[in-house]
Amino acid sequence: MTYRLARGVRLQKAPDGAAVLLVPEGIVTLNDSAAATLELLDGNRDPGAIAAMLAERYQADLPELTSDVCTLLDDFVERGYVTP
Amino acid sequence: MTPPDPRSILCELTYRCNLQCPYCYNPLDLGNPREEIDVATWLRVLDEAADLGILQIGFSGGEPTLRRADLVRLVERTTSRGGYANLITQGTFLDAEYLDALLAAGLAHVQISIQAPERESAFAIAGTDVHDRKLEALRLVATRDVALTLNCVLHRLNHDALPEVIAFAEREGIRRLELANVQFYGWAYRNRGALIPTREQVERSARIVSAARERLRGRMEIIYVLPDYFEEFPKPCMHGWAQVALTVTPDGRILPCPAAAGITTLTFPTVRDGTLADAWRNSDAFRAYRGTGWMPEPCRSCDRRELDFGGCRCQAFLLTGDAAATDPACSKSPHHDSVVALRDAGPEREVAPVPRRPTPVA
Repeated sequence: MTYRLARGVRLQKAPDGAAVLLVPEGIVTLNDSAAATLELLDGNRDPGAIAAMLAERYQADLPELTSDVCTLLDDFVERGYVTP
Repeated sequence: MTPPDPRSILCELTYRCNLQCPYCYNPLDLGNPREEIDVATWLRVLDEAADLGILQIGFSGGEPTLRRADLVRLVERTTSRGGYANLITQGTFLDAEYLDALLAAGLAHVQISIQAPERESAFAIAGTDVHDRKLEALRLVATRDVALTLNCVLHRLNHDALPEVIAFAEREGIRRLELANVQFYGWAYRNRGALIPTREQVERSARIVSAARERLRGRMEIIYVLPDYFEEFPKPCMHGWAQVALTVTPDGRILPCPAAAGITTLTFPTVRDGTLADAWRNSDAFRAYRGTGWMPEPCRSCDRRELDFGGCRCQAFLLTGDAAATDPACSKSPHHDSVVALRDAGPEREVAPVPRRPTPVA
């Protein structure tokens, strides 16, 4: 399954440099791994592809990253920030 | 002590509106349209907001789309300064050409309100037959790449239709539904006797919302604004006075919340006097109830003082004449009886609400 940011949801930098997700009437401050994951959402990549890119970039463990990416996306889908 | 910088601003572009909803929180004195601040001043306000690091910008009113061309420029400036533009509208002027101009300017979120789930009762509440036009706007926005929220203000005259409101939202594929119990400011305060729901309505609605949230999880977010006079403790209004947000009124007054102009014992700064940053950091009005130092008893020694901040200053002023009093919505307030009396009132329930005064919309 592939994912993209939901309509009207914007990923950007706050004036203090922190990555934030701007959503209707709200601001969600993202940690580095969440920001890196969301930057790779383009409507074509599935969680496995995203995790593989992150694993290469950060020299991290692929199965663990895949699980983290899936957890984040499931959570953000439920909160309406991300659409399958 | 330096306050935290604000995170959001509500720009009330006009108090004019073609609807006459009796639950409107606009002030009874809807002002003089000729005193509305001009677009150049609004653009400066948006620049000052961006300089303060504000990312969330709301355009509201009245009906903000009555400043049709100005709104497009304001959305454009918001976006170019990295802000997120929210439009809070009743939708009756949102045709395709205009919506697309707003979207090209970067509009991110549209909130459209309905008065009821069907035309006849919506007409009765709004005083204008616009339900079908709203439905058209809703469907139009749903086809575009923009966030959409459907809003319905709940009060005694439409609480019983809550299941139909939720069904309406489902039918229209709404992903974000705001069900806001009426809050008693401005016209709504004047009409509180007619608008306050019954305890039976409130309890039934809580059950309906809870079941709908469970059933629609992952498909529709339901935001439920609790009825204020029915809780044991007051709402943590605005997360405390002058803590996270500010409002600019159509004539340029800078307020800590949209209802604050009702506190007639305070003098609020205006966009003509200085910058938003000055108003936020240094004005007497913004400093008056910031933090906990201003609190009287029972707030001062209450272990909830950092949870609900003494409730709402505007409500305290409306109900007691003293903006520094404990919010009478709190069960610990010495004035709580006035809230109980209204909540449990009998005969006044039969009073018809007074429609909001019609305003020129041309």
